[in-house]
Amino acid sequence: MKTLITCTVNGAEHTLLIDTRDTLLDLLRERLGLTGCKEGCGNGNCGTCTVLVDGAATNACLMLALEAPGRDIVTIEGVSLQGKLHPIQRALVEHGGTQCGFCTPGIVLSAKALLDNNPSPTTAEVRHAIAGNICRCTGYDKIVDAIVGAAATLQAGGR
Amino acid sequence: MQSEKSGPLQVVGRRLPRVDAKERVTGGAVYPADLKLPGMAHAKLLRSPHAHARIRAIDTTRAEALPGVLAVVTAADFPELPIGASVPMGETGYDMWMVAQVNMARGKVLWIGQPVAAVAALDLHIAEAALGLIEVDYETLPAVIDLAAAMAPDAPVLHEHVFTKGVEPRPRTPSNICSRTVIARGDATAALATAPATAGISVAIDTAHQGYLEPQATVAEVDANGFVTVWTSTQGQFTAELMIGRMLGLPLSRLKVCPLEVGGAFGGKIIIHGEAVAARLAQKCGRPVKMVLTREEVLQGGSGPPSAARIDIAVGADKDGRLAAIKASYHLDAGGLPGLGPSLVMQASAALYQCPNLDLQGFDVVTNKPRTEAYRAPGGIQAAFAMEQAMDALCQRLGMDALEFRKRNASVTGGLMPIGTPFPSIGLTTILDRVGAHSCWTDALPQGRYPRGRGLAVGYWRGTSMTSAGHITIAGDGRPMVTMGAVDISGVRSTMAQVVAEEFGLPLDDIHVQTGDSKSVGYTDPAAGSRVARTSTAALVEASRDALAQLRARAAEKLQCLPDQLDYAHGAFRSRQRSGAAISLPELMQATLTDGAVVGRGVSTKLPLGVEIGAHVCDVEVDTDTGLVTVLRYTAFQDVGRALNPIAVEGQMSGSVVQGIGWALMEGFDYGPDGRLRNASLLDYRMPTALDVPPIECVIIETPVPGVAYGVRGVGEVPIVPPAAAIANAIARAIGVRMRHMPMTPERVLRALNA
Repeated sequence: MKTLITCTVNGAEHTLLIDTRDTLLDLLRERLGLTGCKEGCGNGNCGTCTVLVDGAATNACLMLALEAPGRDIVTIEGVSLQGKLHPIQRALVEHGGTQCGFCTPGIVLSAKALLDNNPSPTTAEVRHAIAGNICRCTGYDKIVDAIVGAAATLQAGGR
Repeated sequence: MQSEKSGPLQVVGRRLPRVDAKERVTGGAVYPADLKLPGMAHAKLLRSPHAHARIRAIDTTRAEALPGVLAVVTAADFPELPIGASVPMGETGYDMWMVAQVNMARGKVLWIGQPVAAVAALDLHIAEAALGLIEVDYETLPAVIDLAAAMAPDAPVLHEHVFTKGVEPRPRTPSNICSRTVIARGDATAALATAPATAGISVAIDTAHQGYLEPQATVAEVDANGFVTVWTSTQGQFTAELMIGRMLGLPLSRLKVCPLEVGGAFGGKIIIHGEAVAARLAQKCGRPVKMVLTREEVLQGGSGPPSAARIDIAVGADKDGRLAAIKASYHLDAGGLPGLGPSLVMQASAALYQCPNLDLQGFDVVTNKPRTEAYRAPGGIQAAFAMEQAMDALCQRLGMDALEFRKRNASVTGGLMPIGTPFPSIGLTTILDRVGAHSCWTDALPQGRYPRGRGLAVGYWRGTSMTSAGHITIAGDGRPMVTMGAVDISGVRSTMAQVVAEEFGLPLDDIHVQTGDSKSVGYTDPAAGSRVARTSTAALVEASRDALAQLRARAAEKLQCLPDQLDYAHGAFRSRQRSGAAISLPELMQATLTDGAVVGRGVSTKLPLGVEIGAHVCDVEVDTDTGLVTVLRYTAFQDVGRALNPIAVEGQMSGSVVQGIGWALMEGFDYGPDGRLRNASLLDYRMPTALDVPPIECVIIETPVPGVAYGVRGVGEVPIVPPAAAIANAIARAIGVRMRHMPMTPERVLRALNA
């Protein structure tokens, strides 16, 4: 069945005819071309499709596109500001916190959800915040260091 | 080839961010699943519901009649490849009959999840519906799921053409035991019988998975003249091209494979899975076709997990702790098709010990489970789990310190490898000395609520070299543009940019590196076996020197002197004859723009091996109420020859260790008696999260390899070898129980405690 929805993604409003079976992930990737959002498992177990829904880190594969209207959705494409990397992104680059890169967009958004609510997390809090994002390449240390580093940059007023 | 460079290194060896990191953190990196071509169709594979069955007939007429279905293929749409057909890879080849079976079953299915047909449709919903309309008439056959059943004398035989290799006289009846491999010297049985101290262990290791986060994905397109282009996530575009070409019966000049970003591979993306099928569908329906596997497909039917194993080891030493004998048997579960063979595993497990008497026997056994594939140091972790526990038990029997025991028996440069050839330059003793001086070994183990233990294990991986090619063209602004054949799965674009920057004496930002498609760069073997950074370094050093020689000739003409009267440094040629006469690379290229391209070429083949050795120390706590093992502290020591970029080396080491910890404690395939994988999701097949592992401390030791540019060794594989053994040894020291089954899940630890 098809239905018409209007939703807001990265601040822009879109009106789309969708298949009611489509997930938010399908909507973002296939309809809006926001392919930074990855599908690693389709079951909410790996975190590669993490986006922000009303500020909360959410698996886009577990949410129907039908649920998108009225929500503020932010994907990795909406994180950098005027072409400038967000401090979390910059820290991941500098610390070597991205290898194959498939988990990275989800990690950035989980980290953003954390730092938006808890500006100076402990290492344990950082590990907890990204526990829903599997990374198979890095062993996590450099990701954790990057997020802690980004928190410090943001606290110091850096951008 | 030795680098001509002298003096301190400027770029190589520095801690630098990856040159391709920005596109990764912004979501801009393009993986094949992200591609969208005009008119693109979507494909799905129909997979076998039986572990062993004959395919009597496949009827696709109903599926083809479904509106929106564009094409359906089965094995009948591909040429039948004879048993023994192969494509070259490195010094050996790859069995194409097997590759074809992994991609599309013919005549018989050998495991649940093996593809039997494929559909291309306007969208995925239609493709999925069409799968349900394909009628396959199966005659089910008795299946053998585990090693013991497969080796039973009256076991149903999977392959009528497989007779055990390595047995004299040649067997007359086919068998599920594909091969027997023997590595022996001296008389291990006699030495064990008289050794003052002996120890032994029998272990079983469950199949795990490489766990790459990006499922296999491919897009295939056929142009109006029949030229096929395939974009895919692969470890080797040339190997993929050879395999696709053979499966389709297509000459290589009619086919191009473009490797895109790879979202993890670890051995699982060497052979093709779906590429040739997508290409055939594209040929049939005249549209581009995309095929993306689901996670369940990746786990149950994909290109293959690493093999399960059963290993039995007995070791003996004199009373001073000098090894007298190692006797071991290795049974590797290859899944439905003959596997990689046990030779490398056997060598790896015994390589680090000088021992006069060896008796190692290995068996490659087929069962009705998914065909197995390489996973990071394939077989190494299984071998170390057995061997390093046996050695640890022997230390305990001798009352000897585990590190001291290993120092006393350590293999050294020039010593004999298990196969009888002398070791190239290795630094095991240096590594062990570093362990002994480190706080991870000298600090007292802190007390905890539950029993704690400290474990040590060493690991060895031989790695491989094979062939890597690359070329460097000089842009109009004088900057080197590097095209390499190696697919980047470990940050090799960055390390190669560093190497070329070093060779040219230019800043890193001046170097652009890309991986070429299979028609734009020289043949290169897959990124596997810890070979790419080493061999690409050698190839690009050669290419840099070639390009600089061509530039030197042009500069000499412009400066009106002989080429050898020029000095080159930091992007400029300067004449020694006429003081002050100089020309920079940008000036030179501008002045000679109409003289044709400057292309420096390089290739590395048969580079000396860069064997990898590591030693790991870990502290664990064992919750004796639940059986949960927590890794408290983990330190990995490794000789990397030279760290081209320590950040990249640490990334390889930590990631590899964490994969090892995952298999050690939580990752294992749970097959039902019918051969169905019961945990084919990432909820039930659990890989380590950031909460499951401690920080991994990486200690990098640099003993450059002689005769290799920059002295680089392999890095990425060996760190996965010791973790399970180090953890098992720590558990044994904590609770006095040897773990014989991996993964060492809480229930298995509890069962061992209560046994």
